[in-house]
Amino acid sequence: MQTHKEADFTLDLRGESCPYPVIYTLEALEGMKKGELLQVITDCPGSFRNVPEEAIAHGYTFAQEPVKNGQEYLFYIYA
Amino acid sequence: MKVMLNTIFQRHWNPYVVLLIAGLLSALYFGLTSTVWAVTGEFTRLGGDILLLLGVNVSDWQYYEMVKLKGSTWNRPDGWIVWGMFIGALMMVLLSNSFKIRLPQQKRRYVQGFVGGIIAGFGARLALGCNLAAFFTGVPQFSLHSWIFIIATGIGTFFGAKLTKMLWWKGRPSLARGAAQPSKVKARVIQPYLGAAIAIAYIGLMVYFFATGQKLLGLGALFGLAFGILIERGQICFTSAFRDLFLVGRSLMAKAIIVGMAASSVLTLIVISIYDLNPITQIAALSTFVGGVLFGLGIVMASGCETGMMYRLMEGQVLFLPVFVGNIIGATLLAYAWDHLGIYNVLVKSGAKINLLDAIGPVGAILSTLAMLGMLYALTVYRERNYHRHFELKRAAK
Repeated sequence: MQTHKEADFTLDLRGESCPYPVIYTLEALEGMKKGELLQVITDCPGSFRNVPEEAIAHGYTFAQEPVKNGQEYLFYIYA
Repeated sequence: MKVMLNTIFQRHWNPYVVLLIAGLLSALYFGLTSTVWAVTGEFTRLGGDILLLLGVNVSDWQYYEMVKLKGSTWNRPDGWIVWGMFIGALMMVLLSNSFKIRLPQQKRRYVQGFVGGIIAGFGARLALGCNLAAFFTGVPQFSLHSWIFIIATGIGTFFGAKLTKMLWWKGRPSLARGAAQPSKVKARVIQPYLGAAIAIAYIGLMVYFFATGQKLLGLGALFGLAFGILIERGQICFTSAFRDLFLVGRSLMAKAIIVGMAASSVLTLIVISIYDLNPITQIAALSTFVGGVLFGLGIVMASGCETGMMYRLMEGQVLFLPVFVGNIIGATLLAYAWDHLGIYNVLVKSGAKINLLDAIGPVGAILSTLAMLGMLYALTVYRERNYHRHFELKRAAK
């Protein structure tokens, strides 16, 4: 899987349970400059759905499709 | 075939579909057994079992007389609902190859989970039911106590969400510059084989129950399994229904739960009138309200309620081990406090069992229930829109 652009920041949320992945992701995006790329690594099954859906609902865009990596997911989101 | 397997095991199921099925199954379970899908009553009994094992005589505790502490958990249909849910969830986790030991980075989560678990367990039993018997399966029984419980849970969750947002509570995430490497994926896949082995053994157990005439245990085991499969695959989280609405304006789970309850109410009414059954009514009193507020607060503190905790533990989320222990401790504390500390006299005694079917008849009961659910749905949509309007304004001002 080729990423189009190197991520500017990485949020490693492995081990954290809901709702913290969503809260952390939205806060991180809010603190970044527009156009910067955030990589999110998460393994809470609930977050596989609520992180991407809420990122989009809050007006952020995805740089690429989510990547399923074993028991975790990788998201690439533009702030 | 591959597409079908992918849909069943690799993707999570649509919560609307899952909760519709769960609502219909719970009405059916009531029709077959005259009991409802519930878990915390059994948690209280587990606490009693443990106390008996430790030599504490609980036989004269009023609460244990009320919830009928008899036999062992393996001989109680309610027990098999609980174990069936655990096993059903574990089976699906393994079959989908998604088990992983998940240890929270923030060590404070263990304390939060344990304390929240105790509060939620205590509150649920004070109100005589958790998000199931006083909520998802309580409303379809037309027991007024579940209406009070829903409002109270909403209030408790609101304060829980406020707490969740505080920095000392949530902690700082590990935000690092640049990209990071994901975990290495193991090439050998053994989880689905374990899942299949558990499935076969469990089917054998259910066949044994039915073959030896233990129909109620068999039904408990069967429906427990179905509920466990459903909540895991649908990632059904009652905690998030209210909480995420307050936190990030997310409405999916709340809407799905409301739709599921509406379907279950209609079917339960049909079941009640065809089989001439008595609906299960619990006392509506001050205890229902206080218990609901504590429950709402506790489940947000713990990141999961008594139902959601079950499949998360099976996924390997270690956080939910202290939550489970906390739930049982909280429920048992309440059982003690019920008569020994006078909770019954102060909060419960003045209440009454009110069932809408008796109070306003079947037509009034179903219409008012659907109207109440419709109002909840409208409030949910309103809150979601309001949140996003504020968010847009904030973003534009930045």
